[in-house]
Amino acid sequence: MTTPILRARGITKVLPTTEGELAILTGVDLEINAGESVAVMGRSGSGKTTLLGILAGLDSPSAGTVVLDGEEITALDEERRAVVRGERVGFVFQSFQLLGSLTALENVMLPGELKGDADPRADALALLARVGLAERTTHYPRQLSGGEQQRVAIARAFASKPSILFADEPTGNLDTATGEHIIELIFELNREFETTLVLVTHDARLAVRCDRVIELEAGHIVAERMAVRQ
Amino acid sequence: MSAPIERRRRAARLRLVVRLLARDWRSGELTLLVIALLVAVGTVSAISLTTDRLGRALLSESSNLLAADRVITSGRDIPASFEDRARAFGLDTARTLTFASMVYVGDRNQLVSVKAVSDGYPLRGILRVADEPFGPDAPTKALPAAGEVWLDARVFPALGIAPGDPITVGEAELRVARVLAAEPDRGGSFFDFGPRLLMRLDDVPATGVVKPGSRLYHRLLLAGDEAALDNLAVELRDSLAPHYRWRSIREASPTVGDALGRAESFLLLGGLIAVLLAGAAVALGAHRYARRHYDHVAIFKTLGATPANVQYGYLTLLAGLGALAVPLGLLLGGAVHLAIVNSLATLMPVHLPAPGLKPLVVGAVTGFICLFAFAVPPVTALRGISPMRVIRRDLAHLGPSAGITYGSAAVGSLVLLIWYSGSVLLTLWTLLGVLGVSVVFGAIAFALLHGGRAIGMQAGSRWRLALAGLQRRRNENVAQVLIFGLAIMLLLILVLLRTELLEEWRAQLPPQAPNHFVMNVVSDELADVQQLLAAETTYSGVLYPMVRGRIVAVDGEAAAERRRRMTDEGDGPRLDSERNLSFVDALPTNNRIVAGQWWDGAGSFVSLEAEFARETGIGIGDVLEFDVAGARFEVTVTSLREVEWGSLEPNFFLLFAPGVLERYAATWMTSFYLPPERKRFLNELLGRFPTITVIEVDEVIAQVQRIVGRVTQAIELVLALVLGAGCLVLIASIQASRDERLKEHALLRALGGSKRLIQGALSAEFAVLGAFAGIVAAVGAELTTWILTTRVFELPGAAHPWLWALGPVLGVAIVATCGVLGTRSLVRSPPVMVLRELG
Repeated sequence: MTTPILRARGITKVLPTTEGELAILTGVDLEINAGESVAVMGRSGSGKTTLLGILAGLDSPSAGTVVLDGEEITALDEERRAVVRGERVGFVFQSFQLLGSLTALENVMLPGELKGDADPRADALALLARVGLAERTTHYPRQLSGGEQQRVAIARAFASKPSILFADEPTGNLDTATGEHIIELIFELNREFETTLVLVTHDARLAVRCDRVIELEAGHIVAERMAVRQ
Repeated sequence: MSAPIERRRRAARLRLVVRLLARDWRSGELTLLVIALLVAVGTVSAISLTTDRLGRALLSESSNLLAADRVITSGRDIPASFEDRARAFGLDTARTLTFASMVYVGDRNQLVSVKAVSDGYPLRGILRVADEPFGPDAPTKALPAAGEVWLDARVFPALGIAPGDPITVGEAELRVARVLAAEPDRGGSFFDFGPRLLMRLDDVPATGVVKPGSRLYHRLLLAGDEAALDNLAVELRDSLAPHYRWRSIREASPTVGDALGRAESFLLLGGLIAVLLAGAAVALGAHRYARRHYDHVAIFKTLGATPANVQYGYLTLLAGLGALAVPLGLLLGGAVHLAIVNSLATLMPVHLPAPGLKPLVVGAVTGFICLFAFAVPPVTALRGISPMRVIRRDLAHLGPSAGITYGSAAVGSLVLLIWYSGSVLLTLWTLLGVLGVSVVFGAIAFALLHGGRAIGMQAGSRWRLALAGLQRRRNENVAQVLIFGLAIMLLLILVLLRTELLEEWRAQLPPQAPNHFVMNVVSDELADVQQLLAAETTYSGVLYPMVRGRIVAVDGEAAAERRRRMTDEGDGPRLDSERNLSFVDALPTNNRIVAGQWWDGAGSFVSLEAEFARETGIGIGDVLEFDVAGARFEVTVTSLREVEWGSLEPNFFLLFAPGVLERYAATWMTSFYLPPERKRFLNELLGRFPTITVIEVDEVIAQVQRIVGRVTQAIELVLALVLGAGCLVLIASIQASRDERLKEHALLRALGGSKRLIQGALSAEFAVLGAFAGIVAAVGAELTTWILTTRVFELPGAAHPWLWALGPVLGVAIVATCGVLGTRSLVRSPPVMVLRELG
């Protein structure tokens, strides 16, 4: 029997603007099972990035609850949410978000160091080798291509051995061919680490590789379907 | 969580902080902050070290005028118990006794001012002696041996003697051993007239000239640790009045005292301004550093760093930075101060005493206070960065609340300023100036920027772009105009104050001010004396009649009775002492009426020196009875005067209106300027008029001028250091806004704007900012200087029209130069690099 690793109930996000309140998300309910891969699709402004932020515990909703891996993260303060993120969540972003002042190896070591792992260096080296960057460990982000930077980011995302991985448009800044490689890598590692994957994208080709696709429009889930594997 | 894991995490985080510190350092992220800190610590410690040492040198130089650090003076013998207490406090002591006496050689005689001294004299400064009259002199640590005297050069021709000859002083025959060329505590007192004879105190009884009723001037010289001197002063306070006076250089030489006091205030103010400027630079550096770390923190947080971790990390980083920058800053300060001291060495043959520890403590504490008051708020605010920034970069971070930032900076400044200056008054006026200017001129800057935009619409593309940019970031630019304005204002204030202080001193001691006074000129010889002086010297032509007399009653109460009644009122001149009375028609130039009215004609009126009146309890309308040569008469007090005692001109406690004293035998006093090389003229003068007395104040004036000169050097030096700190603030401020400006201009370049256009627009933008800042600075400097001169330095205030032109010109020059230099490299780089670097 599959158990939900992520359960969201009645997620609403309202932002104050000069013209009154703006509802970004309205009463979103969602369940994602462990090991499942889910794509969240929608047009720009549909609220998918906001939803990802709330599900991953980066942001808090105006109303509603999120239970991540048994922990109700919406009831936690930022201090404890950060601990949850560090221990159970991995991230891959469209703009890579590497620290420019650290080398590839140091970037990958970061989660382990923050957690106090025994040997973050060895883990990081192994991961960098796994993503094909064994020769580039001492390079700084600016010395790497976009695809290579994203591979470092992927290695870093798996360095904390997360139970769930959130990816925000991971191929958005890459050309098609490189994007393909990156997607391949994410799915491979996802399987190897038995991670749950939540992928925000508007790329239909990417979405169909997931087990399930959720479509957002104007802050509501308008469709939810199982992906048809090609 | 188990303890070992937690320990491991802490160690890992510390390693991470160290690594980030090293990376930020290498990438130049911390450069501005570190330089600001280095300058804060360096400037403050350099100023403190230099002023500490110069101050000590100045004090010891000034102490030379007393031949001691402090003296106790009296017309009576000074009790041995005073000297015992001083020794118990570890102080050095020596005694001097000064009196007038005739010396004889055969049938020739000469009135001399005898100074009899004990071993150890002088405690400060040095005696200079020559082997023959008017011959080359050399310093000596010796004193006349028993049975010997040293004599002023001009007594030798007057008495027709040579070194080695005997002279008779009272009942004793003493041998003239050497020529006394200079003594540190020479002159300054009108009591101390006549050429000098220096002898041993032990030889005085043999002369038999000191008898009950003799006019004597006893001094107990004290030198040593300041704290011990202060303690002794406290202990003796009750035993001193009414017969003994405690004197430091400030009371002994008001001119030097004033110069020192004002110089101290100025140096402190310079230091304060340097601290404020450096603090502002640290704040700007920290803000920029924090802003550039928003994304880093968001990433850290995404990866599991808690707000507490972030705060710990950045505070550790700041503390590490402080631990690194403070010792380096102290070294820098030490090096700068050495460079200054060395460069002054040629001008100042004086050996500077070693500095105390305080300047280094001041420097170090300043560094940490700057760091915590100015840098901690923006940096700790990083804990509040939302991790959502990793996916929503446009997410605004408001930074620390304005209340926290400004509150912390204000408290930090206040603590630093009060601690550094020890003067609440100076601190409050300075802060008030800065605050007032910030509020009022923030509004002016806003209006200027608004007006600039309207004008810019009609201008060429370069200016239009610049002014549009200024208008777009109006709030930031108002802040920047204020920062530039304040920095330039602080510099202008220092320049103005320096100029005013120096002018004031110069006015007090004009180059040909009278340096000799002639007293005891009887009416019969007055015309001849004046004629001779006019022919041979730069003669002042000012004449003062002098009549000896004393107050015998005040409003019918006997003066001696009244004095006993008022004994505790003060340690000033005694009410019933015999003193010199004078009469004048017009108020002397260095006197100022503070109560009552000056007379406009003859009458039975008298004017009193205000302090003397206060101490004796005499007021306007009181009737004083005088005794002059046995005759008694009454006069009414019609005015009280404040007297500039530091003017080195004859001043009188009691001045009469014409018509009262003329009937009594008067002697006359006048003054003239004589250059050092014409000193022999005194022999001719005294040879022709043997009964007159010449008082030489030339050595005192020269010494005061030397001191003022040194103070001036110290002031100029502090000004240079503060200028450096000011430039740093400007650079920090330009750096802080550089990213934003460059991003806009990189976009413009990407859209086809030429390098020339961008560089031109940037230059124009900085020039406009500089001009506005200059206007703000000129207004602020004028106001603050007026307040400081009138309230703190107690000098007359004045307007400075040239400042209104200089302010904007200086603003444009400095801001545009710093701005263009600071942005040149990035304007040259391809726009894509700029956009990528700035993210």
